[in-house]
Amino acid sequence: MDWSAAHAGFVTASYLLSTICIAGLVIYVFRRDAQAKKILTQIENSHRE
Amino acid sequence: MQQFANPARFLKIANAVLPFVWTVTVILFVIGLYGALVSSPADYQQGETVRIMFVHVPAAWMAMFVYSVMALASAVAIIFRHPLADVAAKTAAPIGAVFCFLALATGSLWGKPMWGAWWVWDARLTSMFVLMLLYLGYIAIWQAIEEPGRAAMIARIVALVGFINIPVIKFSVDWWNSLHQPASVFKMGGPSIDASMLWPLLVMGLAYTFLFLALHLVCMRSELAQRKLRTILIARGRAN
Repeated sequence: MDWSAAHAGFVTASYLLSTICIAGLVIYVFRRDAQAKKILTQIENSHRE
Repeated sequence: MQQFANPARFLKIANAVLPFVWTVTVILFVIGLYGALVSSPADYQQGETVRIMFVHVPAAWMAMFVYSVMALASAVAIIFRHPLADVAAKTAAPIGAVFCFLALATGSLWGKPMWGAWWVWDARLTSMFVLMLLYLGYIAIWQAIEEPGRAAMIARIVALVGFINIPVIKFSVDWWNSLHQPASVFKMGGPSIDASMLWPLLVMGLAYTFLFLALHLVCMRSELAQRKLRTILIARGRAN
């Protein structure tokens, strides 16, 4: 990849945007999963008590 | 298929395969990005801009594939009453929407230097835009309707009716005069793209597929946890 080539900025923007969106999606999915698991564990524990 | 209808069994299998799926995803992305940015040559007409293809095309493939998964899951939910089918369709939608957005955005970044315009109301672009609206509409149905059974039924119908758009996207470049280039990988007579560019594209396509699989399994796991939570809270409400 020649980073000084014409229109290289469009290539950089495409990869950057893809990285940001995919990383954002992965973080969102894992946070939601952790949150659901945490609340469910709390509820189940309080149910046992 | 019915033996996987048990959510507990599904969770056991999902938890077992997830580390493997994530590992394969990371390896495929490393190999795919090396092929896309390092080993593949610049195009003789498009120059370095051709490298946008390696993120644009897999995102577009996945946007269509994920919607097809949603339509199939919706059909399974209607025909077989499979308890996980609605969960699969619902949780696939946000992931597919992100892929669809990426296909539109990176396509726009490709269009500006190649066509001189960020956007044109071309058959391929317009049908992809319709797919984005279908994703957003599908997600909005689950958000807007409080009663889960009713939301599921309307969402299933939207997913199945919207599936008509998938062949329209695929064949739009053949049916109408289009600025967008015709199919160069999945077509009669084999791919017309050079092997040096084809293998990174296919590896990136596989990487996106495994990424979807990994994210989908995690999303289904959290959706099942939320449904269990809802059931417990309703049961408690009734007991009180």
